[in-house]
Amino acid sequence: MREGEVEEVRTMLTSLGLPFKVLTVEDRFLRALEGKTDAESKRLAFRDTFYTILGEAVKGEGCEILIQGTIAPDWIETSGGIKTQHNVLEQLGVNTMSSFGFKLLEPLLDLYKDQVRALARYLGVEITSSNRQPFPGPGLLVRCIGTVKEDKLDVLKKATFIVEDHLRQIAPPPQQYLAAIVEDDRTPAGRGIDKILSKVHDGASAYYLAGRATGVKGDDRAYGKMIVVSGIEEEPKDLFEMPEKVVHADREIVRVLYSISDNSAKSTRKKRIKRYFVIVRAVDTRDFMTAKPSAVSLQVLQEIAKGVLKDKRVVAVAYDLTSKPPATVEFE
Amino acid sequence: MYIPVVFMGGQYNHLIVRALKELGVSSRLIPQSTSLEELKVDGLIMGGGPHSVNDGLNKLGRTPEIIERCTFPLLGICLSHQLIGKVMGGEVVKGRQPEYGRTLVKVLETDDIFLGIDREFVAWASHNDEVRKNGGRFTILANSEYCDVEALKVDKRPIYGLQFHVEVADTPRGKDILKNFTKLCKN
Repeated sequence: MREGEVEEVRTMLTSLGLPFKVLTVEDRFLRALEGKTDAESKRLAFRDTFYTILGEAVKGEGCEILIQGTIAPDWIETSGGIKTQHNVLEQLGVNTMSSFGFKLLEPLLDLYKDQVRALARYLGVEITSSNRQPFPGPGLLVRCIGTVKEDKLDVLKKATFIVEDHLRQIAPPPQQYLAAIVEDDRTPAGRGIDKILSKVHDGASAYYLAGRATGVKGDDRAYGKMIVVSGIEEEPKDLFEMPEKVVHADREIVRVLYSISDNSAKSTRKKRIKRYFVIVRAVDTRDFMTAKPSAVSLQVLQEIAKGVLKDKRVVAVAYDLTSKPPATVEFE
Repeated sequence: MYIPVVFMGGQYNHLIVRALKELGVSSRLIPQSTSLEELKVDGLIMGGGPHSVNDGLNKLGRTPEIIERCTFPLLGICLSHQLIGKVMGGEVVKGRQPEYGRTLVKVLETDDIFLGIDREFVAWASHNDEVRKNGGRFTILANSEYCDVEALKVDKRPIYGLQFHVEVADTPRGKDILKNFTKLCKN
């Protein structure tokens, strides 16, 4: 969950007059995710823990039916093997009654996010709810690339707050804006890619991060490399054509990131401690099936980086330049 | 007007249904196993999918025989565009550079499908394979920097193939192109 999220949801549900219960089950999720680094095994572990807990809650309340807001992109991406959305069960042949003890009702299955918003407005739902940014079911888990640890989640929570606080204010705000985190573990990209880059941007060079991210290429899942371009200072919108050139040079790449601020040179001490790399992502999209990176200004990104780098556990901040496809909106 | 969409397993097949409904056309996803005899339609669209036509046509249900024999207007997108190219005697090969995301399509022949559309327009694509004409019984209507056959029309039949995705929101003129296709179905 994000900073203050429980309170926000509590207020929203109270204003709608719906009865609700807040369960504090963080430990069970962290235990289920322990030692897992692969994106899909993390998603599956989340899904099973989530519905086991929900099943217990449903039983405790004497209910038989669970209503959930699964929408079209959820089942399309899951049955297409792009990524396992946690809220897709029956479409994969999971019998929710025998597995978790409840029947499922999914009234929004045929709709996309923008249509759900239109429906909510039509029904008179408050604008703060109908325009709420999508937040993935597995929460920050899918933005915590690789291993999930408490201190990594803590850094991510703080970074998320800073990113949202800045990007909420730009006009028009991107459809979705978020922060992701990965260990700062770099390998130079090599002369081939540096050569391609320097043709377009003098002085540009690149390195790979060790973490892997999810993408979609030609209707197939891609789970590939992230590359960071550094050594230049340009407006992000002038770099939007760069990913296609880099992705062609190495077909395993699914993300092209643009280094905004990097303290790694300053922090070389004798003992190298593992520290974190924070990625800012903002996209413009109608329905989340395809998406473009937003033209956030370099100045805003530098302000965000300044705020995020105050946490000394963070070494560098980059902006994601990749469209969907070949990337996805979220990272895992 | 009724134009169903054959579900080929791709990410945007359901978006084609959405776009058609927004144009006032009734539509739904139908399975690949649907035979030509079962189809009581004004036109038909076949979507994209993760397969390669070179891995064998047997994974693609009854779609090859529909392409060979149908008399109603047919539009194939992405994988189905490649399938039309293959069934009509062309070749499908790994593209020299795959296209993921934004691409610039250049119209070579307007035909009915590109009526009122600029000679160059932005479209979104997501593919590894591409069509080569190589004696195929079709005309190339458009290309792009990285792909020689972005659009094709089968000779003497109302069958079109588009390598890019008219159904996604990031192809700004996509819906107009789709509308041009539905006009062909109005008989």
